[in-house]
Amino acid sequence: MADYSCLVVEDSPMMRQLLVFALARIKSIAVTEAEDGVDALRKLASASFDLIVTDINMPIMDGLKLVKRIRSDSAHKDVPIIIITTEGSTEDRQRAMALGANAYITKPIQAPQVIAKVRELLSL
Amino acid sequence: MNDDSEERNRRESDVPVDLSRERESFVRQFLKQGVELTENLLEENKALHSQLSELRQQNALLRAQVASDDAIRDLLRKIETLETERRTLLDRSTQLEETSKENQDRNVEIEQELHDLANLYIASSHLHSTLSVRGVMRHLCELLQQLVGAELFAIYLLRGEEAIAIGADGIELTALKSIPQGEGVVGEVMMTGVPRINDKPQPGGTLETPVASIPLMVRDTAVGVIAIATVFAQKPVWAAVDRELFKLLSSHAATALIAANLYAKEPGAATALDGLMDHLN
Repeated sequence: MADYSCLVVEDSPMMRQLLVFALARIKSIAVTEAEDGVDALRKLASASFDLIVTDINMPIMDGLKLVKRIRSDSAHKDVPIIIITTEGSTEDRQRAMALGANAYITKPIQAPQVIAKVRELLSL
Repeated sequence: MNDDSEERNRRESDVPVDLSRERESFVRQFLKQGVELTENLLEENKALHSQLSELRQQNALLRAQVASDDAIRDLLRKIETLETERRTLLDRSTQLEETSKENQDRNVEIEQELHDLANLYIASSHLHSTLSVRGVMRHLCELLQQLVGAELFAIYLLRGEEAIAIGADGIELTALKSIPQGEGVVGEVMMTGVPRINDKPQPGGTLETPVASIPLMVRDTAVGVIAIATVFAQKPVWAAVDRELFKLLSSHAATALIAANLYAKEPGAATALDGLMDHLN
């Protein structure tokens, strides 16, 4: 039985698999996957999560819109959110953090960096 | 006269003299002296007792002090022993900290190696997970963008004597001209089958002078090239896994494309396996 649950929102199956693998290195985390922002909101409606990891560039609903929606929902407004994206500019980072993201990691990812950030946000 | 005196002397010597007064006086004197002596002895005894008592007290104090000194010496010895133990424990603790740090560093290395292996496994499994040509191309582009961090790249296929662009990201495919075999970096890699990778991906290049050119090999023949012009700005150096990914792409991408291309000509999986037994015999 995992102590923490994490929602991974990523439209690339390759990246999703890589993130799930990285998060599996933390024994106490159970991971749920979503393919885009809308899929993520469906999953959030039926379960609560201790952490959300999301891409920005996704079809249907992008990651920034998702972050904004999550932060406006009282049920999830305090859940830590990590953005993982190819967008590396300072402006993109500032925009994401202003919307309420807790961390911003650029691709290509290094799993140890993601794991360290997850441990930090969940105080593991 | 002499007769009188003689007579007196004779008379004195015949009559006993009364010495009782002398005797009493002597005895009184003797007793008095005896009392005095006794009193002196008693006084002396009393003084000696007092002195003895004092000496006994001093002795007890001295014994106590000696015992206390012994106790202090014991404590000092014990302190020294504990100090030695403390130094040993501190040394041991420092050693353990160093070992722990080494283990931590090794753990970080292992985690990185695991991550790199995961990259390679995921890249390979996705490349070969589909028999759709578009699917293979999509996975190839995704791999380059998401795992390598390629921002502008093109995938060329050798058709006759020219390399023709069949996929790209960061630029319109229609904007890409064909490259004669042997011409420029891409043409040379196509001809030699030898990859050309800059030491660092920054500063970026162009499709004519890419930062990485990777031949797509089928056995010993190059049938295509992946040319990476630029990578994302947040990638200042190649990761260790990048060169392994390039090797994987070089040896697997063309195979995946060929399999998908052949399968595209078949109506279904069953017929795609027709003739397999003949090849095995």
